[in-house]
Amino acid sequence: MKKLLYFFVIVSILAAGTFLIRYSKTKTGRKRTEQTVVVYVSEDQVFSEPVLKDFEKETGIQVKAVYDTEEAKSTGTMNRLIAEKNNPQADVYWANEPIRAEVLKQKGISAPYFSPNAKGIPSMFRDKDGFWTGFSARARVFIVNRKNVKSGEMPKSITAYTDSRWKGKAVIANPLFGTTTSEIAALYTVWGEEKAYGFMMGLKVNDVAVSTSNGESADFVAAGRYFFSLVDSDDAVNRIRQGKDVVMVYPDQKAGEIGCFIVPNAAVLIKGAPHPETARKLIDYLLSRETERKLAFADCAQIPLHPGVEQPPELKPINKIRVMQVNYAEVAKKMVEIQPFLKGWAEVL
Amino acid sequence: MRKRIFLTSVVILLMIAGLLPVLFMLAKSVTADGCLTLAAYKGVLTSRRQWVLMGHSMALASLVTVLTLVAGVPLGILFGKTDFPFRRLFVFLFVIPLLISPYIIAVSWSDLFGGGFLAGVLGPHFTTVATRLLFGLPGCVLVLFSTFLPIPMVLTMVFLKSVNPRLEEAGRLVSGWRGVLKNITIPLILPGILLSAMLVFLLSFGEFGVPNFLRYNVFPVESFTQFSAFYNFKAATAAAAPLAVLTLVVLAAEFYLLRGRGTEIPSFSDSSIPLPINFGKYRKILFFSVALAVFLLVIMPLAVLLIQSAGFDSYAEAFRKGGDSLLRSLLYAVFGATLLTIFGFFTGYLIRTRALRFWRSVDFVTIFLFALPGTVLGIGLVTLWNRPLTNFIYATPLIIILGYLARYTALTSRISAAYLGQIPGSMEEAARIAGAGWFRRMALIVAPLAKNGLFAGWIAGYVFSLRDTAVTMLVYPAGHDTLPVRIFTLMANGSPRLIAALCIIMVAVTIIPAGILWMVSNPVQEKETI
Repeated sequence: MKKLLYFFVIVSILAAGTFLIRYSKTKTGRKRTEQTVVVYVSEDQVFSEPVLKDFEKETGIQVKAVYDTEEAKSTGTMNRLIAEKNNPQADVYWANEPIRAEVLKQKGISAPYFSPNAKGIPSMFRDKDGFWTGFSARARVFIVNRKNVKSGEMPKSITAYTDSRWKGKAVIANPLFGTTTSEIAALYTVWGEEKAYGFMMGLKVNDVAVSTSNGESADFVAAGRYFFSLVDSDDAVNRIRQGKDVVMVYPDQKAGEIGCFIVPNAAVLIKGAPHPETARKLIDYLLSRETERKLAFADCAQIPLHPGVEQPPELKPINKIRVMQVNYAEVAKKMVEIQPFLKGWAEVL
Repeated sequence: MRKRIFLTSVVILLMIAGLLPVLFMLAKSVTADGCLTLAAYKGVLTSRRQWVLMGHSMALASLVTVLTLVAGVPLGILFGKTDFPFRRLFVFLFVIPLLISPYIIAVSWSDLFGGGFLAGVLGPHFTTVATRLLFGLPGCVLVLFSTFLPIPMVLTMVFLKSVNPRLEEAGRLVSGWRGVLKNITIPLILPGILLSAMLVFLLSFGEFGVPNFLRYNVFPVESFTQFSAFYNFKAATAAAAPLAVLTLVVLAAEFYLLRGRGTEIPSFSDSSIPLPINFGKYRKILFFSVALAVFLLVIMPLAVLLIQSAGFDSYAEAFRKGGDSLLRSLLYAVFGATLLTIFGFFTGYLIRTRALRFWRSVDFVTIFLFALPGTVLGIGLVTLWNRPLTNFIYATPLIIILGYLARYTALTSRISAAYLGQIPGSMEEAARIAGAGWFRRMALIVAPLAKNGLFAGWIAGYVFSLRDTAVTMLVYPAGHDTLPVRIFTLMANGSPRLIAALCIIMVAVTIIPAGILWMVSNPVQEKETI
């Protein structure tokens, strides 16, 4: 029994000591309170953490981050922000797409901020009231397996999904989650209700497979299991850099076509942020040309939105892409509207 | 009187930690604009699909429970009661999958079947068929079976230690070892077997990550979808409501199976004497069967992680990127396990002695909290504690500890209750007659006699606190992530080498302290005979 007591006493003393030391460090660092910024991040940690570390180094402001996970479909931080609405803990939300930023605006969780570094970013990628500002975007592109599809026969439009030529040969990520939901909602705003609904039904008729994520879709195509899939450009670039026999195709690029759906990151200031000054500094940093350059050359290969920022050759500059003209606020509203339909659509599969 | 006041205080603290957040969620789910409404429940529970999903979850949980019991109990007896060669090594190996998130095990299996190595050895046809089987119910059963197999195995071993060998020796005078096992040993460890069945069933039923990855739609998907796609906390809570009914059913089943069965064992003794089981010609076959099972269920998926993590650089990077999280994980798990042991001991005592009228409710609540999706509990904790007045809890790691306490007290409580049931009531009674107060009796009589239960509870609390992601993910204060959380956040586009190295480190940090405690506890019990 003595051994048991000794064990618990020693373990408890060690644990309590470590806890107190760590906690007192936080307390003594109170003078630095204003030199801290709390950021919730839904961009992948492997890409966002280096940027935040650089910010720490350059400004001396300590960054405390909460990251999201793929398993939770990158929605854990959103749920926390909503649950914490009455006593916000976060200063900044780094969203990996603007729809979530729009949802936060609609729920009264974000605050307006017009960063001086937002100058030069095309207006369609910024909220007109300043509740979010886009930067470093992904494009929604086709990843196509080159062994299965000859170069002259590549799918060129999103409507390839409903073309009987590709019956049973295409895959799409579950439209209930992530950027696929956003794109479907965008199609509803661009095409209108009837055509978009027809497209969704066409996916079923054409036996389009549904994967759990864009990453999985890209892997399926890279492995030759399916011929093509609509994915985020970082998923495609990643597989190309891994040496897979795939090619990236920007859809609907001809004159008169709807263009390629662009998904920028979004920097959001949280209403009632505990550290508003440092929060603004972080947002300025995220929206800087240098951050866009870093994210372009990182493995996430994101497209800079500022004109003239250096970027790797496999990425098309934003001004060379025919961009789907959407209003992200309308897309967010439409997304909420069609989600019950999408849920039913996904469940029937 | 002191006893009642103290136990009531423990229950109140536990209810504040666990039940209050859920009640908050429940209250929110049945109100809208200040009016009472069941709209969230109607929407979720009247859908036919929910009942189909419920059927899927029941099938998955039942299959996993039956298979783990069928394999785990004999393995526990084999390793705990016989001189089977290399049994400690086998126990060590079988326990490993429990220490890693089942989601990572599922990814490992997928990598194994999807990789070129197995296709090269067994042919592409085999891997195609295996992949097809993996993505569906069989794959989910395989992954969860290998993950939860150690639960009945270890609990069988733990409960076997309290079986008086004199009873078995007496049985051996009139029967073979099969008869002894069937009529004496297994009935005596039945509470342990049922406890493991309940834990495996609830853990399998509530599992979302593995079925989602392996594309088998299960009941928790609705709660998850309501959180992830709709941000609808009310509907998510409503979707978790049937779990309360399920918990009641599970408890009722346990009550039915244990009816009229006294779990009190008259004395403790040295249980390290192996049962004289002569395997005869089957010894070699048995050994190779167990070795094959270890190879298939543990070594193969683990080999994927070991091969992926090979090289000093991977581990150096893992410590660089996850060192802080590792320290925090250890600290919180030790704190959590110690608190869980204390709370579990007193709630176990309450359940065993029925000292308060509402003892059964306490048992129900702790098990319900264990069965509840971590997301519901996590959001409940955020909603309740995230206030300026309680920032000292919410903005510090205390909120993580509260989460552990809420979620895992059922484990330590049930383990303690089972051990306490084996202490003759006459001992405490004798001390009471001799004039010892309740606290004195607890400290000097009951706790020492239940020390093995405290050890086992602490190990269970430590392992489950350390591997927790469901609650921690939602409540950890910024900059206070734990190692399993970091593994998950780095998994999205992170290097497989780094993830594999972090998983191996995770296994090591779980096994080493738990192993030390196991070794500390074993000599104590071996020496002691009452």
